[in-house]
Amino acid sequence: MTEQVEIAVVGAGPGGLCAALAAAQAGAQVALIDNNRHPGGQYYRQTAREFRGAPSSHQREGAALLQQAIAAGVRIIAETNVWGAFDDKVLALNDGAATTYLQARAIILATGAYDRPVAFPGWTLPGVMTAGAVQTLIKEQRILAGKRFLLAGTGPLQLVLAAELARAGAQVVAVLEGSRVFPRVLQHAGALWNQWERLSEGLSSWLTLARHRIPYRVGWGIVAAEGAAQVEQATIARLDGNWRPIRGSEEKIACDTIALGYGFVPFNTLSRLLGARQEWRPELGGEVPARDAQMQTSAPGVYAVGDCAGIGGAALARVEGQIAGSAAAAQVGHGTADAIPARASALARERRFQRMYAALFTPGVGLYELSQDDTILCRCEEITQAEVRHALALGADTTNEVKLITRGGMGDCQGRMCAHLIAHFIARETGRSVAQVGMLPPRPPIFPIPITALGVTR
Amino acid sequence: MNDRRRISAEAVVIGGGIVGCASAYYLARRGVQVALLEKATIGGEASGRNGGGVRQQCRDRRERPFAIASVKLWEGLQAELGFDIEYVQGGNIRMAANDARMESLRREGAEELEDGLQVELWDRDELRRRAPYLGDVFIGAKYCATDGTANPILTTKAFGWAAQRLGATILTRTEAVSIGVEGARVASVTGRDQDGEIVVEAPWVINAAGPWSAALSRAIGVEIPVEPARSVIAITQRCAPLFREFISSHDLGVYARQAREGQVHVGGTNVPPHTFDQRAPADVLEHLARGAAQMIPALRGANFLRSWAGTLEMTPDKVPILGYVDRVKGYILATGFSGHGFCLGPIAGKLVSELVVDGAPSLSLHEVRFSRFG
Ligand SMILES: Cc1cc2nc3c(=O)[nH]c(=O)nc-3n(C[C@H](O)[C@H](O)[C@H](O)COP(=O)(O)OP(=O)(O)OC[C@H]3O[C@@H](n4cnc5c(N)ncnc54)[C@H](O)[C@@H]3O)c2cc1C
Ligand SMILES: Cc1cc2nc3c(=O)[nH]c(=O)nc-3n(C[C@H](O)[C@H](O)[C@H](O)COP(=O)(O)OP(=O)(O)OC[C@H]3O[C@@H](n4cnc5c(N)ncnc54)[C@H](O)[C@@H]3O)c2cc1C
Repeated sequence: MTEQVEIAVVGAGPGGLCAALAAAQAGAQVALIDNNRHPGGQYYRQTAREFRGAPSSHQREGAALLQQAIAAGVRIIAETNVWGAFDDKVLALNDGAATTYLQARAIILATGAYDRPVAFPGWTLPGVMTAGAVQTLIKEQRILAGKRFLLAGTGPLQLVLAAELARAGAQVVAVLEGSRVFPRVLQHAGALWNQWERLSEGLSSWLTLARHRIPYRVGWGIVAAEGAAQVEQATIARLDGNWRPIRGSEEKIACDTIALGYGFVPFNTLSRLLGARQEWRPELGGEVPARDAQMQTSAPGVYAVGDCAGIGGAALARVEGQIAGSAAAAQVGHGTADAIPARASALARERRFQRMYAALFTPGVGLYELSQDDTILCRCEEITQAEVRHALALGADTTNEVKLITRGGMGDCQGRMCAHLIAHFIARETGRSVAQVGMLPPRPPIFPIPITALGVTR
Repeated sequence: MNDRRRISAEAVVIGGGIVGCASAYYLARRGVQVALLEKATIGGEASGRNGGGVRQQCRDRRERPFAIASVKLWEGLQAELGFDIEYVQGGNIRMAANDARMESLRREGAEELEDGLQVELWDRDELRRRAPYLGDVFIGAKYCATDGTANPILTTKAFGWAAQRLGATILTRTEAVSIGVEGARVASVTGRDQDGEIVVEAPWVINAAGPWSAALSRAIGVEIPVEPARSVIAITQRCAPLFREFISSHDLGVYARQAREGQVHVGGTNVPPHTFDQRAPADVLEHLARGAAQMIPALRGANFLRSWAGTLEMTPDKVPILGYVDRVKGYILATGFSGHGFCLGPIAGKLVSELVVDGAPSLSLHEVRFSRFG
C-alpha cells in the first residue's frame, strides 16, 4: 500500500527536525522518518528510557525541538528504516515487521553521517572501535566499552568524548590529535567569531582533560593495534604534515580500547538512489550531492541537508533544515520560502565555521597509508589489501571493479566501512584521483531487511 | 592527445560480455589476431549480473544442442582459463506446483531424453527426499544432474584475461560507434575512448553487443530484431549451506542458487518489461521475497542484502542469432541470447571462431540463423 504525504523527511537529527518543523509551520503535511527508537539523531541522542538520568543541554534542546515538531503536526515515524527510494518519490519503509510505501511531493534527506573507518594493522581486533560507537554506548546505554581508552583522531569531538569518558570513570591514556591544530587555529580566528557556544563547550572539555591529567598529543596518530585476542597496546607515532608517521618516533602505549575519531563520512546513499548528481569533496567528508541555494539536489523536489550533504555540524544542519523545509513547503504550495533570506547570515556564519573546521581537521593522505598487504580492508568479506592489489594487477582500476573481482564491498555493511578504504588504496596505487576511482553504486535495500517483512505489506 | 589512431587485426569483436570475451578467447586460441572493444568494463552488463545458471534442460528444442555442447566446454573451463570461476555441476531442479505443470515437464523430459539429455522426473516423495529444503507447494520436478552454476562476473572476466594472455587486444572504455563496410565486406570498426577515435581495421567483425547490438547494426542496414528487457536479482546475507542445485519454479515465478559464500541469489522468471532502465522496482523485490520464502521456507529467517538489475537481449522467438549475415561479408552476429546466454557463451564463442577460421561450424547454425526473421 502506498500512502501519500506532501513532504517526507528522512532522518530526525537536528537537520531533519528543523526541516520538518519549518515545513509544518508553513502549513505542509509532513512525515518524519527515523530508524532510532528516539528521534534526535547524533547530536540530540537521547538516553534510553531505562537509564534516564538528568538530560544534557543537547538532549533538552532536542526534546524541545521534537515537541515543537509534534505540536506543529509533524507525523513522527520512529524505529523505521527507509530502505529504498523509487520513481515518483516513493520511499520504502520498513519497521522490521512489514514494508510500507510513502509517496511524497518533496523529499528532504537528513540522514547524517557515519564514522570514517581507518585501516591499520590490528584495526580488526576486538577493542578497536569508532568514537561514535563508544559515545553511543555511553549516551544510549550508559555502558563503558572498556577500561583504558586511547582516543586517536582529529577535531574537538575527541575532547568531548574524552571528557565524557573521564566523567564516567574510565581511564583515558591519551588523546591523539592528528592535525597540528594550535598554530593553524589562529589563522582562522575570524571564523570563530560568534562561536562562543562552541568555544565554551571545547573549553569545558579541555578543563576536564586537564583535571584528569589526560595527555593531549597534537600531531600524533595511531599506527597499529596489538594484542593476542583483544587490544593490549597501540603503536603511535608523530605525524608529518601529510599525516604520515615519522619514522623513529613510534611509541607503545598500553590500552584495552582504541576509539577512532577521524571525522565522518556523509551517508549519501538515498540521494544517489534518487538520482542526485554527486561531487567528490574531501573537505566535506567525501561524496556529497550537489545542491542549489534552497538545498535542492539535481533531482527536482529532492533536498538534502546536514551532514549527509557535507559534514558541517549540528548548527549548520539546523539552518540548512530550516531553509529546505521552507523551500519544500513553498514548492508544494505552502508559504513563500521566506526562511532563505532570513537565514542567510546564519547560513554564511555556519559555512564559515564549516570551512574552518575542514581546513583544520580534514585528515591527510597518510591516514590511508597505514594498512599493510596483510591488513583487512573489507571486514565483512575479510578481503586484504593484498587481494585488492591482485585485482589491480588483473586490470581493475575502480572501486566497483575491485568489488566484483574480490568481493570487497559486497558484505553486510554495503560498503559503508570499506569503500573509502579501498578507493583510497586504488587511487594511491594507480595514480588516479579518488573521484575517478569512484564509490560503489547503491544497491537497495540500503540496509538488510527481513525477507518476510518485504513480502508482507501492511 | 591523438584523435584518430589506427590499428589492424584479423577480427574485431564488439562487446565484452561472455559472448564477446569467449569469441575473443577461442579466436586467439586458433591463432587469430583479435581486438575486442568494450564500451565500459568486461562483464559489466548481463554477463556479470546474471543468475549464474548453467543449464541445459527446459530450453527451446532449437537451442538444446548448443546448451549440451556448451556444458561439455564448461566442464573443462576452470582448468582451461586458469581461474577459479566457481563452476559446480550441482544439478538443476525445475519444480511443478500443479498437475498441468508436471504434465508439461513430463512431455519436455521425453523430448530431452530423445535429444540425448539425461533428465529424471521426480514425484512428490522423490522431491522431498532429494530436496528437503523446498517448500511443500511442489508436487514434483524434473532434474538434470549435469546442469550447474558458476560465478558470472569471474567467468566473463576469466575469458577476457585468458584471451589477453593469448595475445588478444582488449580495449575497455572504448565504445564502437560505427562499422565500416567496403564494397560488400566489412573493413573496420571505429571506436571512441577518452582520447578520441580509434579505427580497428579487420576483415571480420563480430557483433556481440548484447542488447545494444541492434543500434550499431542499423547504420549498415542490418536490422537485428533484438530488444532490451530488465531482469532483477536480489540476494540474501550469507546463509548456512542449504542447497547446491540451480532451482526454479515457473508457478511461483522465481529461481535461485546459493553462491559459494552462502548468499542465496533469487531471480524472477516473469516476462520482463522491455526497457534499458536498470533500477530494481519495489514490486519486483517484493515478488522475489514472497517467491523465495515460499520456495525455500528456511529463507523466512533471512534478510535481503542487495539487489541489482541487468539488461537481457530478447529476440522475437527467444532463440539466439548466431552466424553470418548474407548481405555483408565478414559480418558475424552473436546476439539475442534472450536470457539464456551465460550458459551458451562458451559454445557461442567457439562457433564464432570456427566461422572465422574454418568457414564451417562444428554444429549446424540453421536454427539460429539471422535470416529466419527475413
Ligand atoms: C557518532 C557521532 C557523534 C557525534 N558527537 C557530537 C558531539 O558530541 N558534539 C557535537 O557537537 N557534534 C557531534 N556530532 C556531530 C553532530 O552530531 C552532527 O553534525 C549532527 O548531528 C548532524 O545532524 P544531521 O541532522 O545532519 O544528522 P544526524 O544527527 O546524524 O541524524 C541523522 C538521523 O537519520 C537517521 N537515518 C539515516 N538514514 C536513515 C534511513 N535510511 N532511514 C531512517 N533513518 C535514517 C539516523 O539514524 C539519524 O538518527 C557527532 C556525530 C556523529 C556521527
Ligand atoms: C538478471 C539476469 C539473470 C540471468 N540469468 C541467467 C542464467 O541463470 N543463465 C543464463 O544462461 N543466462 C542468464 N541470463 C542471460 C545472460 O546473462 C545473457 O544472455 C548473456 O550474458 C549475454 O551475453 P552477451 O555477451 O551477449 O551480452 P552482455 O553481457 O550484455 O554484453 C554485451 C557487452 O557489449 C557492450 N557493448 C554494447 N554496445 C557496445 C558498443 N557499441 N561498443 C562496445 N561495447 C558495447 C556492453 O557494454 C556489454 O558489456 C541472465 C541475465 C540477467 C540480466
